[in-house]
Amino acid sequence: MLAVEACGLAKRYGGGLGRAPQDALRGIDLAVPRGAAFGLVGPNGAGKTTFVKALLGVLRPSAGEVRLLGGSPEDPRVRARVGYLPERLALAPSWTPLEILESVARIKGLRPGRAALLALLEDVGVAEAANRRTRGFSKGMRQRVGLAVALLGEPELLVLDEPTDGLDPLGRVHVRGLLARALARGATVLLNSHLLAETERICGRIGIVVGGRIVREGPLEGLAPPPASWRVRFEPGADEAALAAAGFTRPGGDGIHRFGGADAAALNAALDRARAAGALLAELAPEGTDLEAVLAEAVRA
Amino acid sequence: MIPTLAIARDLLREARARRWTVALLAGVTLLLLLAAFGLKLEVVDGALAASRFLGRSVHGDIRAADVALRPLFEAVAYLVFYGGTLLGVVACADFAPALLAPGRIEHLLALPVRRSELVLGTFLGVELLVFAGALYGGLGLTLIVAAKTGVVGFAPALAALLGAVAFSGVYAVMVAVTMAVRSAALSAVAGAVIWVLGIVAGNRAALAPLFEPGLARTVFLLLTAPLPRLSALALHAPRLANGLPLEGRELAIQAGGTALFAAAALALALAAFERKDF
Repeated sequence: MLAVEACGLAKRYGGGLGRAPQDALRGIDLAVPRGAAFGLVGPNGAGKTTFVKALLGVLRPSAGEVRLLGGSPEDPRVRARVGYLPERLALAPSWTPLEILESVARIKGLRPGRAALLALLEDVGVAEAANRRTRGFSKGMRQRVGLAVALLGEPELLVLDEPTDGLDPLGRVHVRGLLARALARGATVLLNSHLLAETERICGRIGIVVGGRIVREGPLEGLAPPPASWRVRFEPGADEAALAAAGFTRPGGDGIHRFGGADAAALNAALDRARAAGALLAELAPEGTDLEAVLAEAVRA
Repeated sequence: MIPTLAIARDLLREARARRWTVALLAGVTLLLLLAAFGLKLEVVDGALAASRFLGRSVHGDIRAADVALRPLFEAVAYLVFYGGTLLGVVACADFAPALLAPGRIEHLLALPVRRSELVLGTFLGVELLVFAGALYGGLGLTLIVAAKTGVVGFAPALAALLGAVAFSGVYAVMVAVTMAVRSAALSAVAGAVIWVLGIVAGNRAALAPLFEPGLARTVFLLLTAPLPRLSALALHAPRLANGLPLEGRELAIQAGGTALFAAAALALALAAFERKDF
C-alpha cells in the first residue's frame, strides 16, 4: 500500500508576454510506502516545496497524477487524513494556539476536547502559551504551533516542509522524537528539509531533487558510494611511525588519521598492524557516505 | 460542522480582533448612546408634544407620534442602507486578501475544505458581519425610539436586510478582484466603484435621458443593465417608514437581480481561485 504516488508530475510557470516558461517540476515519479519516512533534499530552487504543494493540491500540476493514501488529494476525506506544515506558516496573530487547534479540528471534523488539545500543545512544547495570542510569538514557537496543527488527529500522512526551521537544537531533538512516535504508530512521514543531518536521522529513504527532477531515490546506504576513505582516531600515545607503517596517514594536526580505500579486509589488516604496535582504536567512521556527500555528488552530476 | 460555516465562523471570530471592526462597533454604539441620552421625546396621548436633541428644541408642533417620527425612521433607513454598505466596503476589504496571505492559504488548502467552500465561507462570514452591524445600528435606534415614544418602526430593520442584499453584490465583486490581485486597497476601490455604479444603475431610467438618443444612450443602458440596482433597493425601507405599502414585485426583482449579480461575480471569483497556484 502506498501513501504517496506521483506519476509524471510536472509544473510549468509563466510564459507569454515575451517571457520564457519555467519548469519547476519536470516529470517526477515517486512512490512512498505507508509507514515509511521519506526525505526530500536538494539545493535551493530545486523544486522541493513546489513538489510538496503539488502533492497536496495547493498548486495545480501542469501534467501528471498524484494519489495520496490511495485517493485524490482534492478529496476532503483524503485531506482529513493528512497533516501538513507549510514552509512559512502564517498564524492568525489575534488567535491563541488553542483557538487555532479548535478551528482546524472543526474543519477536520474532529472533536478532540480541550484536554486533548492541551496535551498536544504540551507535546510540541507550547502548553504554557496555549491561551496567549500568537502575535509576538518567536519563530520557534510559531513553528511548534504549526507542528501541533499538523499532528492534530494523528494523521496517517504527515507532510512537513522544513519542520525544524527556527527551532533550537533541543527543539530539533524534540521534533525528531515526535516524528519517531508518529512513525511508531504507523504514520507515513514526508519530510522536506535542507537540514541534511536531520533528514538522514529521521528518514529511511531519501529523494534528491535537482532541477525539478528526482535524480536519485532510495535508502541512504543504497545511494551512497562505497567509502573512499576511513576516518580513524587512536587513543593518544600511539606510535606515529608504526601507524604510518601500517598505512594510516595524518593529513591535519587534529589527531585524526585516515585510511584510504573501500576494502574492509585491507582496513582490518592495517588496524591489526597498528594494534600490534600498541595503538588503541577509539573511533572509526567511513568518509564520503553521508547525505551531504551524496547530495553534493548528485548535484555535480 | 459544514466547512463553509466553519470558515464563516472563523472569519467572524477574526473580525472581533480587528481594529476596524472594533472601531465601527464603537462608533455605532456611540451614536446609539448619543440618541439614547441626547434625544428627548415627549409623547402625550399618542402625540409627539415636543422633541429635543442635546437640549435644543427640534420640533414644537403637536402631531401624532407615528407620523412625526416618519422622517426620523426614513433618515435612519437611508443611513443604515448606505452607511452600512459603504462602511462594509471599507471594513471588510481586507478579509479576502488575508485569506490568500502566503503561509495561510497553503495551510487552508491542505485542510479538508474545498476551494469553493473557502470562498463561500469568507463571503458568508462578511455578509453576516455587515448584516449584524447594520441590524445593530438600525434595531438599536428603533428600540431607543420605541422606548421613548412607544412607536415601533420596522424600516431600519428592513434597511439592514436590504443593505445586506445590496452588499452581497458589492462584496462579490471585491472577492473577484482579490482573486486576480491580492490587495486590500484594490478590493476597497472595486467595492466603492461598484457601490457608486449601483446607485447609478438604480437611477438608470432617470439618467438615460441625459445621454443623446442613439449610441450613447444605448451604451449607457447596456453597461448599467447587469449592475445591481442599489439605489432602487434603498428606496423600499424609507417607503415603509412613510407608511407606504411595500412594492413586493419590484423588491423581489431588484433583490433577485442583485443576488444574481452577486452569484455571477462569485462564480468568476471561484473560477479564478480554482486555477490559482499558491
